[in-house]
This record gives sequence, structure tokens and C-alpha cells, in this order.
Amino acid sequence: MLIELSQVSKVYNQGRANEVRALSGIDLTVEQGSMVCLKGPSGSGKSTLLAIIGCIFPPTSGRAVIAERQLARLPDRFLTLHRRETIGFIFQRFNILPELTVLENIALPLLPLGVTPKERKLRAHELLERFGISHRAQFPAGQISGGELQRVAIARALINNQPIILADEPTAHLDTNLSREFMAIMQQLKAAGKTIVIASHDPLVFEHPAIDRTVTILDGRIHVP
Amino acid sequence: MARHNLEKQLSILDFALSSLWRHRMKSLSVLLVFAAVIFLLASFQMVTQALSDKAKQVLAHTPEITLQKMSAGRQESIPLAYGEQLAGIFGIRRVVPRIWGYYFDEVRLANYTVMGLEVNEMPEGGRLGATLAKGVMPGPADEAQGRVVVGQSIKKTMDLAGRTTFSLFRPDLSLKPFEISGEFSPDTDILTNDLIVMNVADARDLFGIPAGLVTDLCVYVANPKEIETIAKKISEALPSVRVLTRSQIQKTYQVVFGWRSGFGSICLLAALAAFVILAWDKASGLSPEERREIAILKVLGWETSDILAVRSRESVIVSGLACIVGMTAAYIHVVYFDAALFRPVLMGWSVLRPDLHLLPRLAAGDILLILAFTVIPYLAATVIPAWRSATVPADSALGG
Ligand SMILES: Nc1ncnc2c1ncn2[C@@H]1O[C@H](COP(=O)(O)OP(=O)(O)OP(=O)(O)O)[C@@H](O)[C@H]1O
Ligand SMILES: [Mg+2]
Repeated sequence: MLIELSQVSKVYNQGRANEVRALSGIDLTVEQGSMVCLKGPSGSGKSTLLAIIGCIFPPTSGRAVIAERQLARLPDRFLTLHRRETIGFIFQRFNILPELTVLENIALPLLPLGVTPKERKLRAHELLERFGISHRAQFPAGQISGGELQRVAIARALINNQPIILADEPTAHLDTNLSREFMAIMQQLKAAGKTIVIASHDPLVFEHPAIDRTVTILDGRIHVP
Repeated sequence: MARHNLEKQLSILDFALSSLWRHRMKSLSVLLVFAAVIFLLASFQMVTQALSDKAKQVLAHTPEITLQKMSAGRQESIPLAYGEQLAGIFGIRRVVPRIWGYYFDEVRLANYTVMGLEVNEMPEGGRLGATLAKGVMPGPADEAQGRVVVGQSIKKTMDLAGRTTFSLFRPDLSLKPFEISGEFSPDTDILTNDLIVMNVADARDLFGIPAGLVTDLCVYVANPKEIETIAKKISEALPSVRVLTRSQIQKTYQVVFGWRSGFGSICLLAALAAFVILAWDKASGLSPEERREIAILKVLGWETSDILAVRSRESVIVSGLACIVGMTAAYIHVVYFDAALFRPVLMGWSVLRPDLHLLPRLAAGDILLILAFTVIPYLAATVIPAWRSATVPADSALGG
């Protein structure tokens, strides 16, 4: 199993007045090469679950093993090191840095790895080519279209050849055509062996034929109908 | 591994440079304020340094002991005969008379300092020649009557350009003619700027001081270690006389300097505080965009230390540039513009504004001190808030 969660819970601001229980008793396993959709209403805990799978923080309690590492035992620094080898993130709104060029944005994850500028360019160009946006390489990322932006975000999630792709509400700001295109690309990535987890309440996503399984989250728990 | 590390450092430096460029308006404004503070500190340091060098020159030409007659708390003329009463004190090398005073030029509304010296009598008198740009010091009365040496701004104020003669009024309003036999070098302006040096006889004539009286007696001592002892013996022999030793005069200079540079320091500290506040404000007021950028970088696998490295490189680049710009500007200010900004604060010496040419000396220690006072607060003010925000969890870049 690439992703293995058992009895995972997450409490924000534990012990303080603004304590929030975001997840409790989550059991979830995801096999390598499969595509899973996390679905549920706003505030149900989808982003929180993705953050745990994405090694951004360990669970408050329970066991989370991501790519053979148990998170609870890792201090923050090792979470980061593990994250950058393992996880490619695609954010809602795609979270690019608008003043950097498209190329620089895509290469951002490689900077702290000590990859040479030449190698960084080479890898970024490969991906730009693959997604048909090479002509935008030197554009400031704030000035390209929504469809191009989405591909930049996907390219950035792949640059370090991470095995797991996590996407948080990727179609929330896309029209129907671009949403379809996004899922088509995800399908290709799945075919290429990536493991993909998407948080979304967009039917275009969870009803997509490439989705192997849809998990519904309600009030921080997995809902079994 | 070492190669990787080098590549990483270069990447981070590169990212810091491009980030400075992306926020160039902000970077530039911080740079300018920073450079301005360093400019003020460095100019000030250079000026006080140059001035205290000058003060040392003054002291070098000060007699070891000066005697003045006091009456009702005011200085009055001292009889030459007092000098003879000191003959019994062992260790005195020579007693030389001196007449000095201020002359107010009503035509040009300027004050001159007139100094009547017996240059040939003074043990170190020959050295005074070294302070001249041209000419010679006036000799004794019989061979150099009416000969004077003047400072640079006297030459300018009197508009003497081509002429070598001028006249001053005696107290009875008759005119006394003078001929310029030399002029002081601009290097000694702080002392000689408003100075007219003549022999004692001419000074007595100009001020109308009766024969047998002078304004003070300069006592030269054979062994500098005995100055205090001899001064005490003189006080005992001549109870109505004020005895000033060189070290007392030195203290007076230090008080004057201390006050002036203290005042300057307060102004500079205020500027520095304003700068630190500005730096803090600029840095701690991380905009939402900057916070977002940090969160994104963290999710993408940047460690807190990587983000800090970028911020500190940025700060080092900004402070390095600010130091170069500020110090260069300070040097130009002091050397080519004669420290125009600090004139009113530091120069109270004479009514004539000295056209002072300062040759600044900036020691490595001073540079380090200036750096310590500017760069360290700036680094702290920029890196600490970045560190605080870099330790914020990265999940804020997700969802929402
Ligand atoms: N950093 C945080 N600090 C405190 N509470 C948080 C934090 N992040 C999320 N929460 C709370 O945790 C709960 C789950 O939030 P989460 O963002 O995981 O839900 P979501 O399913 O992703 O919602 P949405 O569909 O709106 O993105 C919510 O009640 C939210 O307010
Ligand atoms: Mg969410």
C-alpha cells in the first residue's frame, strides 16, 4: 500500500479555546496506481485529510504511513524531506507565484534539492512540451490563461517525479471544458503509474470513469452509505 | 554531496536576487534609507576623527604651561617681570611672552584672532614653519616689523587676492599697516583659519598694551614628567596667576568636542532608531502575498531554513549595497563637499566659517562599528519576522 491510514484524527489548536476537531477515526488505504476522490461538503475535512496524506503535518492520533514512512515519528524537517520526494501538490487556484515566469514556477520544487540550473531548465522544458505550453515558458505566470495555469500547476507537481499526486478542489475555478481536460490529464498520469488523490465535490471529477473509488467525508468521518 | 550543497547555495542566492528584483520598489526604498543612515554615521565618524586629529595638532603647538593673570575672575595683562620671578624654579627651560586677542573688523563684520609670538624664542618655534603654505613666520620686532602670517579665510575675507598689505585700527582709531609674509596651509584651517600671527611688539602696538605687559607667559619645561610639579611650584610663587597645563587644555578640548559630538550622536541615534523601526515595519508587515509565497514554498518542499536563507541573502545583499553606497557617499561628502551637512554642528570655533578641508581617516574598527550598528539590527529586523512566518504550518497554501 502506498497510503495507509488507520484511526487517524486531527485536532487543530488542541487544548486551546479555538480547538477544532477536523478528522476522527479515518481508515483509508490507497493502492499504488489508483485514483481516489475525496468528496464531501465544505468544512467536512477534505483538505485536512489531504494535508496528512501530503505529509504537511502528522495526525493528532492514529497511524499514517505514506510511501513506507510513518508520519507520527517524523519531526517537521523530515516531513518536508519526505514530502518533496513523494508528493506532488496541485492546489485550488493553483497557487503559482505570479511574478515568476512559468518556467521558474515549475522549477521551484527543485531549488532546495541542489539541482543545477541547466538540469532544472531541461526538466521543466520537458514537462512544458508534454503539456503543449513551451511557448509560455518565459511569460510571467500571472499573465497566462486559466487553462495554461492548470497545466503549469500539474507540471510543477510532476517535476521531481513524485509517485503521489494530490489535488485539492482542482476544478473549482475552471469551466466545464477545462475541468474535463484536467481529468483527462489525470487519467494519463494514472496510466503512467501515478497514485492520485483528488478532493472535490465536483461531479465532473467524482463521476469520471478513471476514478477507482470515491470516499465521502462528513463531519470529519468517512461516511459509509 | 558538497557539489549539491554548492548548487543549492547558488540557487538560493539566485532566487534571492530575483526576488529582490521582483520587489524592486520596496528593495530600493529600503536600500536608500539604509544607505542614508550609513552615510550619516560614516560622515560623522570621519568628521569627528578628522577633527580630533586637528585637536591633537593644536595641542602639539600648545606650550606645556601657560600663565595668565587673573583679577576679579577675569584675565588681565601679566607683567613680563613675573617671568623673572620664576628663575629660581628648577626645571624651567624657558619663559616666552605672548599677546593674543580678538580683533573685530567692523567693515567686514568678521572676528579675527590675533596672536603675537616670539617665534625665535620658542623652543619648538621652528616647527611652526611647517604649518605654512608659503612664506615665513614673522621674526623679532627689529627685523620684521608689521610682518604677519594669515589664515586662509582671512585672505579671502579681506579679499587680498593680489595684495600683500592691509591695515587694522588701533584702539585710538589710528591705522596700523601690515604686510603679509606668509600664509597658513589649508591643512591647519581649524586652528589658523581666522588667525593673524605677528611678533609680540606689533601685537602690543595694535592692541595698545603698555610696555612690560603681555596677555600670557608660556613656560617650557625641560622634562615633561615634571610639568605638574613645576606648575604647582609656580602657583605657590605667583598666587595671583592662573597656571594652565597642557593636559588641562586638552581636557577643555575634550569637553567641547564631547558636547558637540554628543549632540551629533543623539541626532544619529534618532536616525538609526527611525531606520530600525522602518526596517522592522517593512519586514514584519509581511504582506498576504509574501505569507502566501512562504506557505507555497513550504508545501513544495522548501525547508524553513531554505526560506530563511533566501531572506538573509536578500538582507545581506541590501546591506552590502547600502554600505558601499553610504560609505562612498560619506567619503565624497567629507572630502569634496567639506562635510557641508555637519558644519553647523561641529564648527563653533570661529565666526568666520572655516573653509575646512578634512582628510578623513576611516579605521577598520570604525567600519565594523558602523556595520554593527546598522547591519545587525537590519538583519534581525528582516530575518526574525520571516522566521516566525516560516514556522507557520504550510497547510494555509492548500484549499480555501
Ligand atoms: N488551520 C486551521 N486551524 C483551525 N481550524 C481549521 C484549520 N484548517 C481547517 N480548519 C477547520 O477544520 C475543519 C475542516 O476543514 P477543511 O479545510 O479540512 O475542510 P474541507 O472539507 O476542505 O472544506 P472546503 O470544502 O471548504 O475546502 C473546518 O471546520 C475548518 O474550519
Ligand atoms: Mg478544502
